[in-house]
Amino acid sequence: MTLNFEIEQRPDFAILVAKLSKDQKIQAEPSAMASMDPHIKMKTGMKGGLLKSVGRALGGESFFVNTFTAEGAPGEVVFAPGPMGDMQHYHIEESGPSLCLQRGSYVANTEGVEVTGKWDGVKGFFSGEGMVLLKATGSGDIFFNTFGALIDLDVTGDYYVDTGYIVAFEDTLSYQITTVPGLGIGQKLKTFFLGGEGLVCKFSGQGKLWIQTRCVKPFINWVHPFRPHKKSSS
Amino acid sequence: MQIELVGKPAGTAARVTLAQGETLTAEVGAMIAMSSQLQVTTASKTKGGKGGVLKGIKRMFSGESFFLNSFTATAQGQEVIVAPSLIGDIVHHQLTGGTLVVQGSSWLASGVDIDIDTTFQGLVAGMFSGEGLFWVKCSGTGDLLLNSFGAIYTIDVKDGYTVDSGHIVAFEDTLEMKVGKASKSLVGSILGGEGLVCKFTGQGKLYCQTHNPPSFGQSLGQNLKPRS
Repeated sequence: MTLNFEIEQRPDFAILVAKLSKDQKIQAEPSAMASMDPHIKMKTGMKGGLLKSVGRALGGESFFVNTFTAEGAPGEVVFAPGPMGDMQHYHIEESGPSLCLQRGSYVANTEGVEVTGKWDGVKGFFSGEGMVLLKATGSGDIFFNTFGALIDLDVTGDYYVDTGYIVAFEDTLSYQITTVPGLGIGQKLKTFFLGGEGLVCKFSGQGKLWIQTRCVKPFINWVHPFRPHKKSSS
Repeated sequence: MQIELVGKPAGTAARVTLAQGETLTAEVGAMIAMSSQLQVTTASKTKGGKGGVLKGIKRMFSGESFFLNSFTATAQGQEVIVAPSLIGDIVHHQLTGGTLVVQGSSWLASGVDIDIDTTFQGLVAGMFSGEGLFWVKCSGTGDLLLNSFGAIYTIDVKDGYTVDSGHIVAFEDTLEMKVGKASKSLVGSILGGEGLVCKFTGQGKLYCQTHNPPSFGQSLGQNLKPRS
């Protein structure tokens, strides 16, 4: 069953308006639902069993997933992600590429799509985003969100992205964590430690890649000095 | 170099396309993505530029970083995407020989033919303008990218203009800036919440930002847990 939907209020406050037909289901991360018709039924569960749920939790998403069903009549559900930013739709086919998602960027998916954690070895650890990516397989629609605006890139060959800005990519792309391409080793070390670019992700192959234009961490670092100091008496 | 601004107005990023041999100089940490045929160098001066350590130290006082990153394309049609870390917009300013005085943290990136230096706007202006003692002085010819907190609006100053501290992004050096009171009496200025303001005279372009980072930071910080 295809899903009728609209992504509204782009690019800064994107929300997903899912127009479910009779008895159609959609799954979403907890607390993503912003509003819905009264006859829509919500059920909370560990989708895909315990193991898949653990995988999802390691991937920075919730252990639980909410399922919304338009019981008996068509209805509308609006989903809004936590951060302010943009949202993107992606259609997965069994025969096509799977989608890898960065921690926390998952919003919702239709039936037939399976979202689980994907252990990516040590390189995930160095990506600064957590050790496990989310991987969406199967066939259907999936929605993911960003912090800041979204840029979609068609990669052919090699492309570098600062690790904090990766949102999602097709698994036809391979990736490795590296430093920016500099001159010699000395220059590389200089850029790494002093150039503020740290680790980057090098994508190779052919496929689609989505990046976000802002990153939560630098924003938090900026806010930090404004926090009050703890009083020594308390 | 071709510049496309995407994701306006709150999450704006600049997609800069470089021809072979072209160089973009960017603020440390501003690069969010790039194609593969680029050479990245970190130095305290622009590529092929003058200055060095001293300029780097001066730049630190202006709120920018000691180092600059240079991205040089080693093939045709290479791309660098740069973005600031705070929420806000980017403005693309073409410099044609003049000088633009940029508020400390608003300089994002520029072409290699633009000289980036630090300037002192006077002790009074520095201490009371709410913008910091030192400013970034950009001169030469080429493309310049500035970022703002919130949106950017442009004022073509003809006779004079007043901007509250914290809202200046940049101004052409044909304008003169002085710090003054918002209303006639100092007490009134302070009670009015405007305190001291920046008064511009002369003719030239002035970029202002809609929001003031310290005000926003204070409004958030008070609601956060104290630092341990």
